[in-house]
Amino acid sequence: MSLAARAGGWQQQRARAYRRGLAPSLAVLLLITLVPAAALLVASFTPLTLTDPAASFRFDDPLVNYRQLLHDERFIASIVVQLKLSASSVLLQLLTGLGLALLLDGRSRLLAGARTAFLIPMVLPPIVVALIWKILYTPDVSPLHRLLEAAGWPVRSLIANPDTALWAIAAADTWQWFPFTMLMVLAALQTIPDEPLEAARLDGANRWQLFRHIVLAYIRPVLVVCGLFRLIDSFKAFPLIYVLTNGGPGNVSEVTNFYGFIQAFNFSYWGYASAIATVMLAGVFFLSWLVGRLGWSDHGVR
Amino acid sequence: MNHKLKRRELLKTAAALGSAAALPRTASAQGAKPYTGVTLNVSTFSAAYPRLLQQWLPEFEAATGARVNFDAPSFPVYNQRADLELSTRGSAYDVVNVTYIYTSRWINSGWLTPLDDYLKNPALTPADFDLQDFLPGARAPETGRDGKLYGIPWTAEVLLQGSSRFDLVQKAGLAFPDTTDDLVKVLQAVNKKERVAGFVADNHYGWTFVPYLHAFGGDVFRKAPDDIFPTLDTPEAIAAGEYYARLIREFGPDGGVTYQPDQVTQALKSGRVNFADAGQLYLAQLGDAATSKTINTVKFGAVPKGPAGRFPGTAVHALGIPAGSKNKEAAWAFIRWALSKQTTQRAVAAGYGSPARRSDILSAEFRKKQVINGSDLGQLALDSIEQAAKTGHMKYRTVAVYPQVDQQLNKAIELVVTGQLSAKQAFQNAQAGSIADLKRAGIRL
Repeated sequence: MSLAARAGGWQQQRARAYRRGLAPSLAVLLLITLVPAAALLVASFTPLTLTDPAASFRFDDPLVNYRQLLHDERFIASIVVQLKLSASSVLLQLLTGLGLALLLDGRSRLLAGARTAFLIPMVLPPIVVALIWKILYTPDVSPLHRLLEAAGWPVRSLIANPDTALWAIAAADTWQWFPFTMLMVLAALQTIPDEPLEAARLDGANRWQLFRHIVLAYIRPVLVVCGLFRLIDSFKAFPLIYVLTNGGPGNVSEVTNFYGFIQAFNFSYWGYASAIATVMLAGVFFLSWLVGRLGWSDHGVR
Repeated sequence: MNHKLKRRELLKTAAALGSAAALPRTASAQGAKPYTGVTLNVSTFSAAYPRLLQQWLPEFEAATGARVNFDAPSFPVYNQRADLELSTRGSAYDVVNVTYIYTSRWINSGWLTPLDDYLKNPALTPADFDLQDFLPGARAPETGRDGKLYGIPWTAEVLLQGSSRFDLVQKAGLAFPDTTDDLVKVLQAVNKKERVAGFVADNHYGWTFVPYLHAFGGDVFRKAPDDIFPTLDTPEAIAAGEYYARLIREFGPDGGVTYQPDQVTQALKSGRVNFADAGQLYLAQLGDAATSKTINTVKFGAVPKGPAGRFPGTAVHALGIPAGSKNKEAAWAFIRWALSKQTTQRAVAAGYGSPARRSDILSAEFRKKQVINGSDLGQLALDSIEQAAKTGHMKYRTVAVYPQVDQQLNKAIELVVTGQLSAKQAFQNAQAGSIADLKRAGIRL
């Protein structure tokens, strides 16, 4: 009894020590993460505008911004654009990254060199990537357009065409971020043991069957994590849109993030922009939860 | 050679003497450095005049003892940064550029310091600063509703029309277009000749399109600044939008709707596009022998007149002091130095092409430099500024909510050019959007 009591006391002491040790980190985390998020939420309940901050930081109608969002056609259109861009670019990144990882998974020097070269887009600053693609998409100066013209397949400006502008951005985003998936999948491929592959080969499995039933099973959780990371990040798309299309032509490439930026930085509607950001935050949480619930990873089973 | 050297030295000495005279009088009179220990944070957007000031800063610092941090990012970045900083009444900046499109918003929100007391104080402002020398049309937008002055203009920019390959127009037996109808005739004759596209414009259409809106008898507001009910869905506005979108769609280069100011200038300098409307600062670059391939074929004119007349766009940028600055007197000393007659004359001598002082615009040195391939950009600019002062058609631009309407116009033209909407639909949408924006800004219509 006394031993058990002592053991309980020791455990309590240990838990207290853990809490004390964690407290500084938690305080810092609270300060740098939750306080700004709370400030955002609070601002979203006000009609705050910087042209008259004293008079507009009030809470007499806290849902005014959210009500307005429901009737804001440009905001609703921006969500549709956002979903199109996120879905297409994440899917392309996963497919390209996975495909290249499978091709480059080997031990030769050539493959190692290729792996390094393919990582370059990911380490470039986003604004540099945007400028590279601005040049590529400007017919007058673009080597891509000149090449296509010389080959007899002239292509009109992709970013000036409302039918292609968004897909042009998705292509540039894919170029920048497929290396992330490639890198993660390459790392996952290293962890696959040889035994099941050899056993399957002995049983007569072809390459597709090996991939479908063994390799994919091993790398699936990694692909889900990559998809989730890229999906969350895709909601933050900004430099490419700012430099390539400025949300246009018209509003065809105006994603929610960009619309929020315009409301805050061009028009000074900080309350409204905060409401847009809060809705985005809720959307990202919901999508992340949905991806987890779809059972594409093993976490649910375990 | 020796003679040339002597002449150059003489010019240098004269310039140095001029700058010394421009330096704050308190400094030279007291023989001390009155602002020793003061750090001034100056911010403007990147442009020719600020670049010259940055070169000459050491002279101001040596004479006053102040240290100056001069930041000049690109135009949109500067505006966003300054708008945010001024709105918080922060003290990060001591001198800012008062951007034309934001003048009413910044001045009438009380974000800037009135300069009248500094101007009236002879201890702080010598008589030869001569405020009246700044064009009245340039001072007007810097004046608040209270009648006080909040900015000293450093540029009075005018939207003019340039033809980089006027030789093609001459070959077609046509003259420089005077009217909107002439412009279409000329473009039909020269478009795609020698692989040169006919027309392009900076896609900031809230600036480049408005002279056409006015020319067709339309306007942005009913009667700015007193009646700011938007008038973007009038038959005149729709006709202007249809006309203008046609210029870009039918005669523009591939991707013309994405062109920004520097791209327009490059397209003109390399002769890839023939006609464009641009500020004279940009057009003057076509006279740069080192970089312009079209220096011998270029011609300039006023923006075309339409059924209602000719309405050239003008823009004024000024230096002002934020309300939150903690070094206002030193900031004023900086502005006084930066825009003294001596400094502006020196800038003109160094090739600056858009001064706001009448004495500079009328000086022989300026006029000589502004004549490019026989076209007198200086005269065209002066005529346009005087006309804008007479008609008052630029008042729309200093309305506090214009940034919102400006964007509605940008989108409307893009939608028409790319065929997403008809001019009527696009301009009706822009009208509805503008009204909603104005109501949201708390304006009763």
